[in-house]
Formats: sequence, structure tokens, C-alpha cells
Amino acid sequence: MTSTASQRALDYLEQLPGTTFTKLYQQPSTALAIFRRMLPHLAKTLVMAMLYMPTPFSVSDLETWVKPDHESLQARDRALSILQRLRILFDTHDEAGRAAYKLSDAFARSLRLALTGGGKHKSFGVPCSTPDKTPVSIDYLDTFARKQWEAILYYVVGSASAGLGAEVDISAGTKQLLQKGSFVAMRGRVPHITQAGFTFLLQEINAQIWTLLIVYLEVSSSLQMDPVDVLSFLFTLGSLELGISYSTSNLTPTQQQMLEDLADFGLVYRRTSDANRYYPTRLATTLTSDAPALPNSSLTSTTTTSGQGANDSAQQNEKGYIIVETNYRLYAYTSSPLPISILSLFSTLHTRYPNLITAKITKSSIQSAIAAGITSDQIITYLTTHAHPILRRQQPVLPPTVVDQIRLWQIEGERMTAWRGYLIRDVGSAEEYEKAVAYAEALGVLRKEFKAKGSFFVTRMDQMSAYFKSQALRKREMNAQREAEAKGGGASAAKR
Amino acid sequence: MNAVDATDRGATQQDIEPPSLLTIILDTNPHAWALLVDSLPLSKAVANLLVFINAHVAINHANRVAVIASHSERAEWLYPTPAQTGHEHGQANGSTHDGGDEEMEDGDSAGKGGAVQPPDDANKYRPFAQLEHALVNNLRKLMSSTTTSAISTSPSTMLAGALTRALAYISKQTAALPTATTSTQFNYSDPSSMAGGNELTTDPTKAHTAQGLTSRILILSVSGDLADKYIEIMNSIFACQRLSIPIDVLKLAGDPVFLQQAADTTGGIYMSLSTPQARAGLLQYLMFAYLPDQTARENLTMPGESEGVDFRAACFCHKRIVDIGFVCSICLSIFCEPLADGTCLLCGSHLSMANYGRNPVVVPKKKKVGKGKKRALDSGAGTPMGSGGEGTPAPG
Repeated sequence: MTSTASQRALDYLEQLPGTTFTKLYQQPSTALAIFRRMLPHLAKTLVMAMLYMPTPFSVSDLETWVKPDHESLQARDRALSILQRLRILFDTHDEAGRAAYKLSDAFARSLRLALTGGGKHKSFGVPCSTPDKTPVSIDYLDTFARKQWEAILYYVVGSASAGLGAEVDISAGTKQLLQKGSFVAMRGRVPHITQAGFTFLLQEINAQIWTLLIVYLEVSSSLQMDPVDVLSFLFTLGSLELGISYSTSNLTPTQQQMLEDLADFGLVYRRTSDANRYYPTRLATTLTSDAPALPNSSLTSTTTTSGQGANDSAQQNEKGYIIVETNYRLYAYTSSPLPISILSLFSTLHTRYPNLITAKITKSSIQSAIAAGITSDQIITYLTTHAHPILRRQQPVLPPTVVDQIRLWQIEGERMTAWRGYLIRDVGSAEEYEKAVAYAEALGVLRKEFKAKGSFFVTRMDQMSAYFKSQALRKREMNAQREAEAKGGGASAAKR
Repeated sequence: MNAVDATDRGATQQDIEPPSLLTIILDTNPHAWALLVDSLPLSKAVANLLVFINAHVAINHANRVAVIASHSERAEWLYPTPAQTGHEHGQANGSTHDGGDEEMEDGDSAGKGGAVQPPDDANKYRPFAQLEHALVNNLRKLMSSTTTSAISTSPSTMLAGALTRALAYISKQTAALPTATTSTQFNYSDPSSMAGGNELTTDPTKAHTAQGLTSRILILSVSGDLADKYIEIMNSIFACQRLSIPIDVLKLAGDPVFLQQAADTTGGIYMSLSTPQARAGLLQYLMFAYLPDQTARENLTMPGESEGVDFRAACFCHKRIVDIGFVCSICLSIFCEPLADGTCLLCGSHLSMANYGRNPVVVPKKKKVGKGKKRALDSGAGTPMGSGGEGTPAPG
């Protein structure tokens, strides 16, 4: 999966130390969630093929298994790269001494346990043995989750245009978290939305949750909470079932503490803060899947429902409610202030009907949005995410003229883009240089190639250096020169 | 400026794979499993199969699975559990069934709606537990409802019935999802399917690639002789070919004639585990060769592609498997011996065979399906035999 949501989580996971991974992979639910959510498709196939393999999988066997065309090789390199970054796959040697791959023991054991069941890990949640006196319906949980989550969004968007939101107050802890993640910045006593806040706002809901949870993870480690505990609880939540109450009895103190915060986000529901049962909401159970995080129960009421308050329009929000025409006009079937205020960030509102607003995307509206820190890609992604079914019928979803023009309007203002990264030069012969560039491209880390100078620029170095090391090993007489020369670390600018 | 370029517009993140539906046809023919009891008892095979199913479900949360038992006298759903079970006996004839009208319970609601809930177990992922529970229960029910008389009367398996059920289920599931751009045969262009597609996801990347369900069928076969249902099976195979549904076949015992053709025609994988050692590694075979779905197969070399395929057909009159037969020139039905009165058994056309019995014109023998002598004569029309008139039947 390469959706933005899992990309965020992937980036966070990658920077964890190796021991954390070993501890994380002790839990079958974590192994299953990471397998399902973070890995590209070919990597999943590879892991499953190797899962019950008694011997290491030799590199040459893998090479014969994967088709030799360019696309497949790229997919293979990417799969291997992610597996190694997540410490799932290791290089080893088989009994004949050839290079081979093997799965991390902890990961393989946990994934096997997850598939077969058994063990005593209790990582898939302990359901309450006694039925609740007053059972909580799924509808109620959905409403609760939406109310909590929208309160957070209102708080963020409300800081963009004052006088909006603040229908439900959010807890001080959440407010602090939003500041820590620099989604809002305090100017005096009034919160103001930041660029990160806009990014946050324009994401789809699952990505929003992950974004917030990753900030939570970062903050929690500074509060002496064990990140392994926190993460594995999150992955456990992803494997729970909606509408069933789970017991808090086997949770660690850290996780007990988390429950309270997660209830603030709307991920779990507890009747009181000391109740010994909790209900995961849909926000939580869809953490490790691609299912829509908030329900869209009624199929037919996409476009025709007249405004019935925020609840209804939130459903439309999920289903897509925006129509963009080639003449830059924009129609949004909504009556809720939240999407309207988001739309007003980058378009000029014209008319408001009971269930529809019309707006126009203009140069000044886009450029004022860009001035506020919103990027054109964010706008385009938002419009695509929430495109009306009528638009989705066509390919591409949005009119190309509009998409290109939005990008052009942004580029008018900015001519430079800065990337943090590493410049690699003095690679050796032209052939070796070509190979290294191709490898970097396959990994997806190549930013820019300066062919005339024989150097290229990559965004991440760890795998490249591993590559160069293996290359150097092959030609050990030129070892010294061929060591990858990592330069930079500071901000280097590449001109577009 | 290269960011604004028409070429990269549609190409963003095409790599989200579509969900896939795996329909497994488990041959539960008691006779055949009795022969395998030493190397691979049914219980062990089912246990392996369950791990395989779980692995399939684990790969993508939208992946679905359906399991059909092809039993000795009928084909029966193992998973998902059919909602109404009252008509079990009405479907004793598995080969001609009613087109999948029965309401299937969804994967989500199977646990709640079903008769028995799986025990709550914190050590097992709930969807896996529910699936296993339903499957094992249904299999047990099927076995206990099998009478000895039923076993003794029909030594074969209802593969044709199971295949048609699988096909009906697949088309129903595909219709419930948005149309896939890849399978153009499925042209459900009604607006409701559009709405259903939107329901599936809010992820913009999914909306980019108009996705459908990619389906495939896996037949775990133990029975040999399938010739008595030749026509039904071949029709199902051609239906699969049209819908581009690969049929994977894992053969644990028995002769491979039609299933090998099935895999070959539909682009599926055919493997035969004929030794006890190979059967012991059933799970590894399943995980390695059969788990990759169509998306992954684009990047992988699949096993068993180069094996010679047995293209023999079964005759329509006695269900014998024939190398050389007689083909009706009107309806192309195959017969193992010349027809007594020269009337085709299927279409009723009157056929005459003037030169039959003489040494035919020598045409190099090909191993194609049903290459009959009559055709050989016709193809030799350039010879002085003058067979052009004789091959044509008089209107019957």
C-alpha cells in the first residue's frame, strides 16, 4: 500500500531502532497489521512464499522467480527495500554458501501464529466475557467517533477562519497535541492554522488519524511511555471488531493511559473513564485497512439529500460531493460548515443553496491559498478525494485543464524547491555510474541526475551505501575509491 | 517546470492492487480421500487449506474467499454459509443448479447471522476465526449428512456443479462491485454499480484506477474420472475463459485430462502432487505457487507453464475419452464411433459418411481436440476424392 496514510506510518517506523522492531514483532497482531498495511503487493507475496519455507530463499532463485522485465525488477527491488527497511527480511547464506534471504525470526513466528491462531499472546483483544447491561449500537459508536473527530477538525479549521467551529470543545491534551504537531500555532491566545495544519486538513480521514497518532507517538515517548506498548496497542485496535466490547483487564498501564487519550480522538468509546470495558469505533478498526474510516451507510442519498445538519453532510463528505467543471466552476453538495470552510480556503464562494454551494477557482483564490501555505498538490488531492461519483466515472477524475492550471499558478510564485538529501559523485566508470543510478531509481530515492558531472542526488542514503558496499566487495581492489561518498546531510538545493 | 506535464497526471499511484476473490473448489469425494489417507488425510489438507485462506485474506483487507465442496452427489457451499439451508435436498443434482439465487451472507455478518458463533479467542484474529469456524462446521455438516448409499451409488465428484456455482457467485460478486476496466465483458453500466463503487473507498488513489474484483478459481482435485460431466465442465471452462477468470488446479490424485485443459485454456496454474513427499508439502505449494493473485502474477514466473497438455476430449455418446473420434459438422459434437443411422445425437442433422472405412488420405496427425477422421477427409478436399459433397449433411 502506498497511500499517504501508510506512508506516514512507514516513515515513522523506519526510524525506530532495530530492537524496537524485534519487540514489536513479538505480537502477532502487529506482525499482521504491518504485513497488511505497510508492504507493497509483491512483498506480501514474497513474505507468504517464504513463511513456511524451511531453508533461506536464495537470491538466484528469487531472480528466476521474478520476471526479467524492467517493471517487475523495479517492483522486486522496491519490495526488497521496504522489507529490509522494516527489518522483516535479512541477507544470509544458504547451506551452499550462496547469498540468500530469510525472514526475521520474530516476524515469521508471529505471522505464522496470526495465521494459524494459538499461543498466549492475547494480542487480538480480549472481548468482555459478560454482556454489557446497556449494549452500545454501532450507529452510536459512529456518531460518537464522528463527533469527536470533527471537533478536532473544527478546532483546526476554526483557527483559520474565526467564528467557526467550537461546537464541541476538545480536551486540553488534544489541543496540546495539535500544537506539538504544529498543526496550529498559538499567536497570543488564539490558535492559528499552519501549513502542516492545512496538509492535515486536506488529507483523507484515515491519513489524518495516522498523522495525529504519529505525533502522539512522538510525544508519548517523551512522557516515558514505551513506544512499543503504544504501537502494538494501536495495531491491536486495528484488528478488533466493531460493536464488540473489549476488556481492559490485560492492558498495560501505558495502554490504560492511552485509552483515555484515544477516547478523546474518538477512536475508542468508554462510558466512563474508569469503566473496565471499551468499544473500538470505526476510526480504530479501520486503522490497518483501507476501508473508509467513517461509514457511508445510505447508498442512494449521495447527491439528493437536502441538508440535514453536519452528520448528513459528513456522509456526503465520505462519498464525495464536489464537481469541478472545465470552466473552473465548482459545485459542492454540502450544507455543513466544515467542508464549506475548507473549500473557501482555495476557492471563491458564489452562491449557497440549502444543499449546494457554488464556487469558482480563480487565480487569486489559489494564490491566496498558496500564500497561506497550502500547496497545489494538496488542493488537487483534496478535490480528487472528495470528487463526486459523476466525476469519478471519467479518467482522470478532475478536468486536466484545471489541474494543470492550479499547478501553474503555484509555480508562478515559486521557482525553487529544496530537498534534504545526499549528493553521490565519483562513482567510478560510466557503466558503474549507470548501474548505481538505475538502482537508485528503482528504489525510488533518486531525485536528480547530473549526467555531465557524473553525480546524482538521492533522498536517502542507507540503502545506497549498502549497495555501494556490496559493489565494493565485488571489486575489492578499488575498494577505497568506490566507497560511497556521502556528502551533505545539510540542506542541499537542487534547481528544477 | 516539468511538474506540469500531462503525462504524469493519470500515472500517479497506479500500484494499488485491486481486491481479489478466491473461490476454492474442494473435492471432498470420500472414495478418493480414502485412498489418500496414508499420505494426506482430509483433515490435514483442510488445515493446510485454512492457513492458505487466511494468508489470502491477510494480504488485502478487501480480499474475499468462497469455498465450495464438490461432494460425491452434490456440490455444497462451505463458506460463506448459505442463508437458508432448507433446500439442501432440492439441490441433489449439482450439475444443473439454479444460478446462485440463494442469498449468501457477507463475510462481515457471517458470524452474527450464522447459527453458531465461534468462541471468543483473544489469540486469533476474528475474521480468521469466523471463517474457520464456518468452514469447518459446514464441512462437518456435509460429512455427517452423507449417507452410505449416496457414497456407494456415485463414486465420482460433482465438479461441474461446483464450477457453475463458483461462476455464479463470482459474477454476482463482480456485479456488486464497480466495473473493472480490465474485464470488458462485464458491462454493468447501470448507475447503481457506480454508486456501489464509490462506497468501496474514499482513497483518491483507488478512484484513479477504476477497480474491480479480480477473481480466480482454485480446484483442489483428488478424483480421477470426470468424463461423465464432460460437456458441463468444458462449458464452465469456456465461460471462465470469456470472463478471464483463471482456473488454478492442484491435483492430488487421479488422471488430469480435463483439469489440465482447464488450467491451460484459462491461463491458470496446473500442478500435480502425485508422490507422498510432494503431498506432505501441500502448504508450501499452496503458499508459493497459488497464493499470488493476478496482480502479482504479472511480475512472477508461474510454475507449470511449459508442461505438455493432454488435449483429448470425451465423446458425447459414451463419455469415453478418445484420441480420434467423429465430429458432427453442424454442431461439432464428438462421437467415439460412427452413428448407426447417420443422425447426430445432439442436433439431429443427418450425416452421411461415404468413404468411411477406406484408407484415408494421409494427413499428418495433430493432437488437437477431436480431430476426427471425417475432418481429415474434408481438409483433404484438394485430392481427387471429391469429398466436398459427401461431407455435407442433408438437412435432417
